[in-house]
Amino acid sequence: MRVKDGVLKYGFVGPALIFLIAFNIFPLFYNIYLSFTDAELSGGATQLIGGRNYGIIFDDTRYGTALRTTGLFVVLAVATELILGFALALALQKPFWGKPAITTILLVPMMLSPAVMGLYWNFILNGHYGVVNQALSVFGLFQPQWLTDPDLKLFSILMIDIWMWTPFMMLIALAGLNAIPNHLYEAAAIDRASSWTVFRRITLPLCSPLLFLAVLLRTTDALKQFDLVMAVTGPNDRATQTLSALLYQVMFRGYKIGLGSSYSIVILLIVIAIATIFIRYIASIQAKQGRETA
Amino acid sequence: MKHLRWLVIIPYFGLATLPLCWLFFTSLKTQEAAISPTASLIPSTAENIAPGDLTFSATLDAYRKLATPHTGKAHAFFHYLFNSVIIGLLSTLTSVVLGTGCAYGFSRFRIAGARDWLFFILSTRFLPPLAVVVPVLMMYRIFDLPNTHLGLIFLYTAFNLSLAVWLMKGFIDEIPRAYEEAALVDGYSPFQAFYKIILPHSATGMAVTAVFCLISAWNEYGFALALNNAEAVTVPVYFAGLQGNIQGIPWPQIAAGVLIFVVPIAVFTVLVRNHLLRGVTFGTIKQ
Repeated sequence: MRVKDGVLKYGFVGPALIFLIAFNIFPLFYNIYLSFTDAELSGGATQLIGGRNYGIIFDDTRYGTALRTTGLFVVLAVATELILGFALALALQKPFWGKPAITTILLVPMMLSPAVMGLYWNFILNGHYGVVNQALSVFGLFQPQWLTDPDLKLFSILMIDIWMWTPFMMLIALAGLNAIPNHLYEAAAIDRASSWTVFRRITLPLCSPLLFLAVLLRTTDALKQFDLVMAVTGPNDRATQTLSALLYQVMFRGYKIGLGSSYSIVILLIVIAIATIFIRYIASIQAKQGRETA
Repeated sequence: MKHLRWLVIIPYFGLATLPLCWLFFTSLKTQEAAISPTASLIPSTAENIAPGDLTFSATLDAYRKLATPHTGKAHAFFHYLFNSVIIGLLSTLTSVVLGTGCAYGFSRFRIAGARDWLFFILSTRFLPPLAVVVPVLMMYRIFDLPNTHLGLIFLYTAFNLSLAVWLMKGFIDEIPRAYEEAALVDGYSPFQAFYKIILPHSATGMAVTAVFCLISAWNEYGFALALNNAEAVTVPVYFAGLQGNIQGIPWPQIAAGVLIFVVPIAVFTVLVRNHLLRGVTFGTIKQ
């Protein structure tokens, strides 16, 4: 359909774009400007100070530590969620009694609020009255101090993240498995292929485009990890300070928004790099779909 | 092979649902029972139960106490829940309205650079909240918007627009163009064709989109924390603020509040279960 009413189409598209520019593009550029100033949260006179903020990054040991913590968190969280989620999807692939109900219930955690559930997990993991340690004591096992032991805190946050986001990987992996044409499995059966060969040669390669998509989405999300850190340890704990937590600490507890902005640019660059891969990938999937339907 | 799957499903299902079941039990306990070092598992109606027993006397006290303000807090839980409801509903409404219009525009009209615009819209979803929140805060100070419901409604609308546009575009693309062409032949104006043909046919899509926008606004924490310290505090920020309370954290009340906060989301998840995949992949993967 080609409507000549040029005004109408911009009436449809315009408001949303204006909103996005005002709340995303403008703040983004303003943020870059702020990173070259000595702006403070309390307001007051702001001066351009050149690249001094960026110089401070390299002297601030917190920054390197936060980068390492975030990297470790992302790799461990995404890898564990991928493996667990894929295993669950394989288990849930074939129809069986109760499958829809079980699948739906398993998906619930990923829809819940990380900040609220993170707070509640403090109760479950508490060293004295937490139900996890009580269950361990029934079996006579030792009592880890999940929330106070510096070696365990990050692991506890990881555990909550895995609880929340494994269903996400499961959901996408299930879609990938369902899209595999049955005749491939039938052909493999005729050829008497072992189940390992079927998995390695059919299931895994045909599923991997969707798994890759899921990994990209989870990675951009995990890189921004903030809610769970705040809920479990607060923003200023050396053992768990992710980049977002450090940003919050610098900007809203230290009131140094100029410095914080320069810290945020690096997160931004990483996220943009991964998001670009994601978007290119989506574009290639859409182009392929377009060819198939054309 | 056939029974192998249960070896995966049963342990995971047990571990994953246990925290949610425990949430329900805790909400029925007294503070003493909740933080007792010997956990009790079975709710009972008996009044006096010896310490160390596996049963606990169930009470609805925690739910009742939600109506009175907690020590050190200005308002009771329901005040913050009301804030969450208002902000969630209004931001959802605006994102679905703006998102549907925008998606329709991109779906049916020739727009210069349409693909680039669409990917620009998608890319806004990836911005870390903390990288844009300070400029937004400074912008809001000019318009007196920090600490207001309106400020968060605008912010959540912008935050959810990318999702709304992409999801709605997926749904509208599926409506055959022949419907509108027939309407135009019948003398409808282009806007009437949108209003009378497209909108009714995309009702499901709008409902699904609304659920996803509502959930992400409902759960959001970073923006709400940074922009509010007194008014318009939402439930996630309220709960997080209870940590470090002098009297100890009131776990049964928190459990009761979390349950009230989470049950609508669980219900919505069940309602949109067949569209979850679309929702989490921005409508790019359809089952």
